[in-house]
Amino acid sequence: MEALFKPDVGVTILTICNFLLLVYLLKKFAWKGIIGALEKREQQVADDKKQAHEARVSAEQLKAELDEKLNRIAEEAAQKMAQAVKTGETQRDQLLAQAKEQSARLVEQARLQIEAEKNQALAEVRAEIVRTAMIATEKMIAQNISQNSAQAVVDRVLEEVKKK
Amino acid sequence: MDVTETLAHHMLDHNWGITLGGMSLPITTHTVTLCAVSLVLLGFLAWAARPHVSRGGRLLTTLLEEYVTFIRDGLVLPNMGEEGHGFLPYFCTLFLFILFANLAGMIPQMKTATSNISVTIALALCSGGLILYSGLKFHGLWGFIKGFVPSGTPWWLVPLVFPLEVLSTIIKVSVLAIRLFANMLSGHIALLCLLFLIFILGETNFLAGVGAVIPAMAVELFVTCLELLVAVLQAYVFTLLTAIFAGAVIHTH
Repeated sequence: MEALFKPDVGVTILTICNFLLLVYLLKKFAWKGIIGALEKREQQVADDKKQAHEARVSAEQLKAELDEKLNRIAEEAAQKMAQAVKTGETQRDQLLAQAKEQSARLVEQARLQIEAEKNQALAEVRAEIVRTAMIATEKMIAQNISQNSAQAVVDRVLEEVKKK
Repeated sequence: MDVTETLAHHMLDHNWGITLGGMSLPITTHTVTLCAVSLVLLGFLAWAARPHVSRGGRLLTTLLEEYVTFIRDGLVLPNMGEEGHGFLPYFCTLFLFILFANLAGMIPQMKTATSNISVTIALALCSGGLILYSGLKFHGLWGFIKGFVPSGTPWWLVPLVFPLEVLSTIIKVSVLAIRLFANMLSGHIALLCLLFLIFILGETNFLAGVGAVIPAMAVELFVTCLELLVAVLQAYVFTLLTAIFAGAVIHTH
């Protein structure tokens, strides 16, 4: 049993040669390819991850820019809306004022026209009265009535006209 | 029944007696087993590393890549740092070589080569060489020697600490060989002893021998399963400790 614990130099040397040769051959024919493929894929994954990260950062930046633009547009729209409302109100006030002015002018014009027509009518009535009085006078003269009775007739006629 | 003789017959290495020019060559059962393990590993891994089109081939390549990732991220890089990248093929080979050498004993007519102290010494020497190479590569000769003295050690302690540290490194490497050898040998001795139990009891009393068959075989099965676990565990421990020792030499305090 002591032989179990007695090293054999030949076996040791052969094992070392065997193992080191195996390391060399496996490195050349197996591990190089496997490790190379593994590292290549890991590099690809890392690159993809980096690209995805960059794309995400870019997208976030774009989103921020668009948000800012959107806010600016909304702000401008609100400003324009306020301005439009203000312009509308001004125009409404102007139109209202113009309408009121026009209305007043029309009323005044109508009043003047009515006044003129009234005056014309009165003048016509007066002319009619004078003509009637003239006819009456002529008639009275023709009937030889006295001056006083003629004057009384004229006065009575004028009085009646005034009452009308 | 001579248990010692039978044990020795099963456990000892047998020289095949091949000579070259009158010199006996170390062609033994264990070295032949190791050569067979090397050929199997070389053939299988060289074939598996080729680009495959079939689904099974791609699966095999993926499994191998997972294995390399396990060795790299689980053993080498955490202990040796980025400097360990160059040693990755060594560690990948070391783990599989020890594992297959441990498991070879499970195949009929083959032996567990790692239950031979000469084989484990050879593997430990390779690991020792790697540790030495790492130290010299990354620190140079003087830096490597200085690495044996921890920083902050008073000058008058250096003559004491330096030999102790050198001895410590040699012991660490030696223990690698002894641990693997002892673990693999003890498992096989346990298995053989359980088998001998049947025959020893049978010699005393036939019925006792027959009665011992089932319990002995049950325990034998359990120990065999344990042996499989130990085979994987020892390959892992040997590889891990080599990486730790090499890392300690590379990253000195």
